[in-house]
Amino acid sequence: MSVIVADGLTHRFGSEVALEGLDLVLDSGEHMAVLGENGAGKTTLLRVLATALRPTAGRLRIAGLDAFQERRRLRHYLGYVAHAPGLYPALSAAENLEFFCDLQGVSRSRAADVLETVGLKAVAHRRADQLSRGTQQRLAIGRAILHEPRLLILDEPDASLGAGAFDLLSGVMHGTTVVLATHDQALANRLCPRTIVLRHGRSLGTATHLRVVQ
Amino acid sequence: MNQLRVALAVARKDLRSEWRTRELVPALAQFIILALLIGNFGFQIDSRNASTIAPGILWLALVFAGLVAFGRTFAAEREQASLEAMLMTPASPVAIFAGKALAAAALLVVCEMVLLPALSLFFGMPLSGDVVAAVLLATVGMAALGCLFAAVVARVRARELLLPLLTLPLWIPFIIAGGLAVQSAMGLPGSYQQAIGLLIDFDILFVVLTSLAARFVLDE
Repeated sequence: MSVIVADGLTHRFGSEVALEGLDLVLDSGEHMAVLGENGAGKTTLLRVLATALRPTAGRLRIAGLDAFQERRRLRHYLGYVAHAPGLYPALSAAENLEFFCDLQGVSRSRAADVLETVGLKAVAHRRADQLSRGTQQRLAIGRAILHEPRLLILDEPDASLGAGAFDLLSGVMHGTTVVLATHDQALANRLCPRTIVLRHGRSLGTATHLRVVQ
Repeated sequence: MNQLRVALAVARKDLRSEWRTRELVPALAQFIILALLIGNFGFQIDSRNASTIAPGILWLALVFAGLVAFGRTFAAEREQASLEAMLMTPASPVAIFAGKALAAAALLVVCEMVLLPALSLFFGMPLSGDVVAAVLLATVGMAALGCLFAAVVARVRARELLLPLLTLPLWIPFIIAGGLAVQSAMGLPGSYQQAIGLLIDFDILFVVLTSLAARFVLDE
């Protein structure tokens, strides 16, 4: 079953084209990496796939639903790690997750489980602004999996994670459909059988999975 | 029930953050003390005119303290990139908005808890239940409108400039009705019941309108 079906996704910021005519099909359980230089359109693509950004043109279906008509319903289905961790600096790691448990409608006890999953049990009661950038990133990843989403959209989740990136991400990605943007091609190859390369908002593609936009 | 849970969680989170960082309350307290000092020295106050000047100082201090308090509600979320994380959850944008308005209103009530006794002490304004009720009713509508416009301007650069421009004209009904209610509670001419009735009407109108608009403001 196709989890993501994108058809001609295009996004412009004013006159600047960030994404142009991108077609994409991703099946359930597939892991796909998005590669490209800075400004290639990776974050724009991931924000569109996460339904955080409405594309200028094109169609997107996620789990068979229109991604923008049914955006609210899809919130239960997908988890998104954005470029910035977006944490509350004055709240502890546990409080950050417990707050999002309330928003996700899941039990607060789930926060403790997730802290253990992302290796933050020891710093659960430390304020987010006292955590290192890598630890904050772990917390942001933990927040994205609180509700056990079936689709994960990860925008450079390996940033600042260091040596533990592979173990953490492979554990978190297990059993879910994943779109992951990264600059680390070696990590992408280890985590994702499929890769899409973007340049100036266009896919340079890898033949078997993508229709290359000319 | 779920919406209430979300709104309370958002309000609790905001108030807990404020309690730990103390970013806003000291600034608001300083603002109120300055307003009282300026009022005290700017007018020639004696026992005859103090009670007529006090309501003016009350509403001036509340309006400007409110602009500071509501301006930070969404600006902080934008700065730390946490608003998007909240909006990426299934939680209703209306419940998120209600929680933020509730927390900002609570901060304004804290200011009022300092301002009203100070006005009573220095200007001889009676600290009656009628005055407190008028101020609290005005706070409800002002919080709803202030938070809505704070959400609208949070995404633009000139938000500090835009927020008063958008908010102040719509706060005028609360200042007029609240001012009338406080004056009549102090024994000056005017119907207290009528002014309070107007405040309740404005509260209902603006709470409903802002709740409807919040969904579109936050969701897009």
